Order: sequence, then C-alpha cells, then structure tokens
Amino acid sequence: MKKTYMDKVHTWGRIWCIASLLFFLSIPVAVSLHLDITPRMEIIGKGLAALLIFFITGIIEVVAYSPMLGAGGTYLSFVSGNIMNLKMPCAINAMENAKVKANTEEGEVITTIAISSSIVVTTIVIAITVVAFALNPSFSELMASDTFAPAFQQVTYTIFGSLAAGYFVKHWKISIFPIAAVTLLLVFVDPGIGVLIPVGVVLSMLGAHVLYKLKKV
Amino acid sequence: MFDNFKNDGFMYMIVLAVIIFVCAQALFFMRKAWVRGKELGISTDALKNAVTSSAFFSFAPAIGIAITVISLSVALGYVLPWIRLTVIGAIQYETTAAIGALQAATGDPSANIATAVEDPQIFSEIVWVMTLGSILPLILIPIVLKKIQKGVSDVASKNSKWMDIMTAAAFIGLMAAFIGKGLMGMGSKTEPKIGDGAGVLSLTALIFSTGFMIFFTLINKKLKKNWIDALAMPVSMALAMAVVVLLNKFAPSIAQIEWRY
Repeated sequence: MKKTYMDKVHTWGRIWCIASLLFFLSIPVAVSLHLDITPRMEIIGKGLAALLIFFITGIIEVVAYSPMLGAGGTYLSFVSGNIMNLKMPCAINAMENAKVKANTEEGEVITTIAISSSIVVTTIVIAITVVAFALNPSFSELMASDTFAPAFQQVTYTIFGSLAAGYFVKHWKISIFPIAAVTLLLVFVDPGIGVLIPVGVVLSMLGAHVLYKLKKV
Repeated sequence: MFDNFKNDGFMYMIVLAVIIFVCAQALFFMRKAWVRGKELGISTDALKNAVTSSAFFSFAPAIGIAITVISLSVALGYVLPWIRLTVIGAIQYETTAAIGALQAATGDPSANIATAVEDPQIFSEIVWVMTLGSILPLILIPIVLKKIQKGVSDVASKNSKWMDIMTAAAFIGLMAAFIGKGLMGMGSKTEPKIGDGAGVLSLTALIFSTGFMIFFTLINKKLKKNWIDALAMPVSMALAMAVVVLLNKFAPSIAQIEWRY
C-alpha cells in the first residue's frame, strides 16, 4: 500500500527524533570525557528529583500540544524547544494568515513550514546575539541592565497579546470563561506556567463543550 | 570568549554541531512540506508568507532567549546555556534545571545562577542533569504521536464542527494562561527579577500588542494586502516592545510597579 504524506512525516519524524536523542545524550558524555570527569550518580539523581514536575509536564505537553502543532510541527518543536513561547504562537499565526485549519493536511503543511522557518531564524539570531555578548561584555551588561532586561521579560506577553487580538474577536463567546477562570485562579495560587497552560486548555475546552451542547456556539 | 573550560574551543565545537543538526532537521521538514503544499494546491504566496511571517515573528523572542543565556552565563558560561536553549530547552525549564543541579552538586540549598561554577566535576554533572531532565518527550513522541494524531483525525472526521470548536478552545486556553499570567501572575521566588511579576510592564505589553494588532487588522480590511497579514503580528510585537522599553527607560518608577511579586 502506498504511504500517505502523513505516514511519511511519522517515519521521518521518528528517525530524526531518535537521532536527536542519541545526539543530545552524546553531549554530556563528550563533556565528561573532555573534562576527564566521572559524574556522581547520586548527584545526578538528586538534581533530576528537583525536576520531577518537568517530567510530568513533559508528558502532558506531548499529549496536549501535538494536536495543535501537527505531526511535523511536533517532531520539530520538541527537538528545538521553546514551544509555548515561540513555536506554538508561530504555528497558530501562520494558520490564521493562510486561512487553514489545524488537523488538516493543509494545516500540517503550513505549521511545519512556519515552525521550520522559526527554528532556523531563532537559531541564527541566538548565535549572533550570544557571540556579540561574548565578544563585547559591555553590550551584554547593557542588555542585562535594568533598562532592557525587564522589558525583554515581557516578550511573551507581546506575543500572546497580538495573537489573542484576532482570536478573541472571532471566538469571544468561548474566550471569556477561560481568561476569567485562569485569572481568578492566579489570585489565589500561581502554579507556574507549565501547570497553568494545561489547566487553561482543559478549562477552555470544558467551557466550549458546554456552550456547544447548549447550542450557543 | 574562550576564557575557561566552560567556554573552551571544545564547547564551541559542540554548539556548532548542535546548530548544524537543528537547522538541517528544520530545512529537511520545510522542503518536504513545501513540496506537499504545492501538490495540495497551496499558493506559493501563502507558503512564502508562512516563512516570512514566522521569521519576523521569531526575532524578538530569540533575543529574549539570548538574554536568558546571559543570565545563566554567570554560573555556566555562554556555551552550555546556548546549547540548552537551542535544543529542547525552554526559558522556564533551564533556569530551574540549572539551579536544581547546582544545589544538588554543591549541597548548598541557597546556590543559584549568580554563583559561578568553577569545578569541572560540578559543571559536568549539571550538563547531565539538564540533558536527562529534558529528553522524556523525545522518547515518548516516536511511540505515541502517531496514535494521538490518528485519534484526533478520527474525531475530526466524525464531528468536524465540534473538533473546530475544541481546537479553537485549546488555543484560547493556551493564550488565557499567558494573559492571566500577565494580569495576575507571581514573580519568581527563587530568582526574583524586575518585571517578572504581573504589573505595569506586563499590562502595557498586553494592551499595546493587542491594540497594534487590531489597528493593523482594521487597516488590512481596507487594503487587503498579503504582506500586511504576514507582518502584522511581528510588527505589533516590536512596537509594543518599543513602548515597554521607552516606558521602562523614562518612567521606571511607574513602569516597575508590580502588584504580584
């Protein structure tokens, strides 16, 4: 039977994922060999224990985000990282511009292209900026100063403010509840963005499902 | 630049290999998707639009990520944070991972990323923790992704209207989390910084980016130009960032008010 495009994406994705895993694991091996160090297992174990919440959110992220990112977008995003603050908004914005839907082959193509483009640009910009910082410590001090650093803390909000503008206008009925619920939750407790995102997604989907059942959307 | 074992030539060789690997993967998938897009009848303009819009869009967040590299560089040098934020890493994860590993290795519960790591043993263990702590998705995805995608596709084919609403709701839930964070999110307890809690800066960023985006959307309703669609979001972000920088520069006593810190 002839393989569909989606079948091929999964084959390529699995190969790249396994290659990435082996490559990334070789980095600590190479560093330890280069420095002639035998790492202490108990220290690594303690360090990993502090990251337990990230193992849990890692599982949730794979299940929750992959339907939104598409198959190619998921394989790419989980290798390059910065999913929530970069790859996901990129994918949503590109689908909006191209007027294609998630979970269609057109959506798959557009999200894959958008995320690929984002990865290449991000990698190059980070490289240029870090080398500039390393060569010129005064530039580094300026960017880390109280003038610029607090402003760059807000990049994520500019992403989601501009992304939400179009989205909320189009889907205002299903937007009110999740924003109100998440904001109210944050008044009492801030579980961190890694937990807040799945909570927001689940609340939003529950609210939208109720409105769908009531034939309000 | 090559001042110690954290920033030596070997480390730069590793980061170069990482950059080549990540870009090669991205270009491979882009090429395949582009060919498929043409087969599906998607116009070249729409495909180019996806590339340029995402490229411009990624610029400001990439500089934000590079600044995170700087904040981690005191402890870990430039290269390790650079590697970690080029692969798998995320801003919120890497700082926590670095602190967790540092505290475990030094046995000092107050150790943080302002503490320079001078011991190669500890540095090597931090590299292990940061790597092992982040690879779980790479193990899961090859196993479960096809099944998840098939499940979603089956549901979509049975009830496309419900699926469209649920997809929109999922996106909105994601945005709600960040907007809620900008309105009422707490700043970091372990590594407090100016502007990390909800306050005037986060509210300004949200209001101005939304306002600029609405402005460009209204303009394009009249002009109907594809390039405005492509650039509206990155330009809105850049203009909102400019407002935030200027506000913080010229009225810091107001700008740095935080109601959640």
